[in-house]
Amino acid sequence: MAEYWNIEPQFEAAAQAFLANKPDAEVTLQSEIEVKDFVNAGKGSAEVKNILKRLGIDPAVLRRIAVASYEAEINVAAHSNGGRMFSYVYDDLVYIRFEDNGPGISNIAQAMVPGWSTADDLVREMGFGAGLGLPNIQKNADLLHIDSEAGGTTTLEIIVYYA
Amino acid sequence: MTVSEKKYYHALQIVSDNCTGCTACVRVCPTEAIRVRNGKAHIDANRCVDCGNCVTICPFHAILPKSDPLEIIQNYKYKVAVLSSSFAGQFTEDIPYATAKQALLELGFDEVAEEAMVTDFMIGLIRDYIRQHKEIRPILSSNCPAAVRLIQVKYPSLLPNLMHQEAPMSILTRYIREKIQAEQNLPDTDIGIFLIVPCVAHVTAVHQPEGAYKHLQDGAFSVGMIYGKIRERLRKMNGEQQQMETYEKGLTWALAGVEAEMVDCEDIRALSVNGTDNVLEILSKVEDHYLDQYDYIVLRSCTNGCVGGCLNVENPFVATSRIKKMIKSAEPKEIDTTKLKELYKEGEFAVAPLEPRSIMELDKDIKQAIQKMKKLNEILVMLPGLNCCACGSPSCYALAEDIVCDKASIDDCVVLLKRHQKEED
Repeated sequence: MAEYWNIEPQFEAAAQAFLANKPDAEVTLQSEIEVKDFVNAGKGSAEVKNILKRLGIDPAVLRRIAVASYEAEINVAAHSNGGRMFSYVYDDLVYIRFEDNGPGISNIAQAMVPGWSTADDLVREMGFGAGLGLPNIQKNADLLHIDSEAGGTTTLEIIVYYA
Repeated sequence: MTVSEKKYYHALQIVSDNCTGCTACVRVCPTEAIRVRNGKAHIDANRCVDCGNCVTICPFHAILPKSDPLEIIQNYKYKVAVLSSSFAGQFTEDIPYATAKQALLELGFDEVAEEAMVTDFMIGLIRDYIRQHKEIRPILSSNCPAAVRLIQVKYPSLLPNLMHQEAPMSILTRYIREKIQAEQNLPDTDIGIFLIVPCVAHVTAVHQPEGAYKHLQDGAFSVGMIYGKIRERLRKMNGEQQQMETYEKGLTWALAGVEAEMVDCEDIRALSVNGTDNVLEILSKVEDHYLDQYDYIVLRSCTNGCVGGCLNVENPFVATSRIKKMIKSAEPKEIDTTKLKELYKEGEFAVAPLEPRSIMELDKDIKQAIQKMKKLNEILVMLPGLNCCACGSPSCYALAEDIVCDKASIDDCVVLLKRHQKEED
């Protein structure tokens, strides 16, 4: 089992406390992500975006959430055997968890290097697979946590605070 | 002034007597600005972006586009008409463009200028702007006023990506103002500059420009209205051919796709999109950073570009074909752009940072907004999900939103009402 953590220093304590308690969310969304389904991948993050716009959160923060969740959703479609996206909306943050059905990331540290990708030809033909997915998620999220096992499943969690 | 206090001007008017409450307009509005209440359509001024889709779709002529009456030019000593490029595609091929332009002049103007005159200059300006703003990608074109307003309303996070420079007709207006003040020795207030425009968004942009620092135009006339008057004038002119100078090579501006083709070069990749739904889809992808590989994206709200504007008289495909033919057979003309370049360097064409028009939030207070969102979700599962529009809102989701914002009641749902009636029977 390998883990990867990246938390923005100012949110370290708050984010750890949040993950330890995981209070009930105000609004919860769930969507399936099918293998290599690039037609529908992105719909889950679009739905989250629509809800957050209705809550009136800052446009710049909204764009960070859009990018992080869209990248993560495309990652599941491109690299995994399918999975699910769970979005939890609170009045100060959004917490999104992606769970896939494998095959796991064999070397997370390497996957975090910009430009490194295991994407196959189909994925590249669709315009993805530039190897910027995970670094982009990290850049835009206040917390990124990846939990993966080679040959097993991967869970990716992100938190973005509204202020 | 905050967003909610600002009163928005719109170049649309609902004629209640003609409105049957059919909801055709409700369905095509990209910002869900229209509701049918008590059998009549109403437009929410905060949401409307003047795209004109409702004008085109209404089968009962119940949504009238507004533009200025030609008489207002009499309030000025020196009168200039600035022609949108789509104008050239409105006339059948037996009427030469120069003749139509002469007829326009004879309607009472002292000078007729064409958007087409500054096309080459604009391409240079856009390229320069893209190269000077390498930190922002993609840059979004700002010349379609409906697209700009769509961003303000639905994608405020993309406002910094908009090219903060005036559109070609406004750049031309600034240039003409300076020129005439010097040549005619007239004060600014004596010079009337008017646009001949293909769409309601341009009428709104003249009356309520976004981010304009300087005095621009004094009125906007619809291509359709001017077309009628020109046809009358042409009859009086007895088919006499005219030798007026015209700038066909620059008419590309009216056509979808051509601006992007012209801007695109070795170090600039440009993408072109037209039609409101397509523009919205592309903007959503830009928001997700999916289109960062493009340096410039041209956005035109009307299908086929400005030739598709709802104030034109000719079918947009026919107009496109005519304009393409004119461009092909025209001689290139040298236009002195020294003064334009000077004005650009001085920052004369710059636009103030545009403000968001956030209409989507359920409440100013996020805690309240979340409570409303929860209630909205509860209502949504009760609604039939048919999106039939019979309640007067554009979808079941929109009705749920209207209910939590106290703008509608669940009893407005006709399908639920019928179900309840059956249960009672």
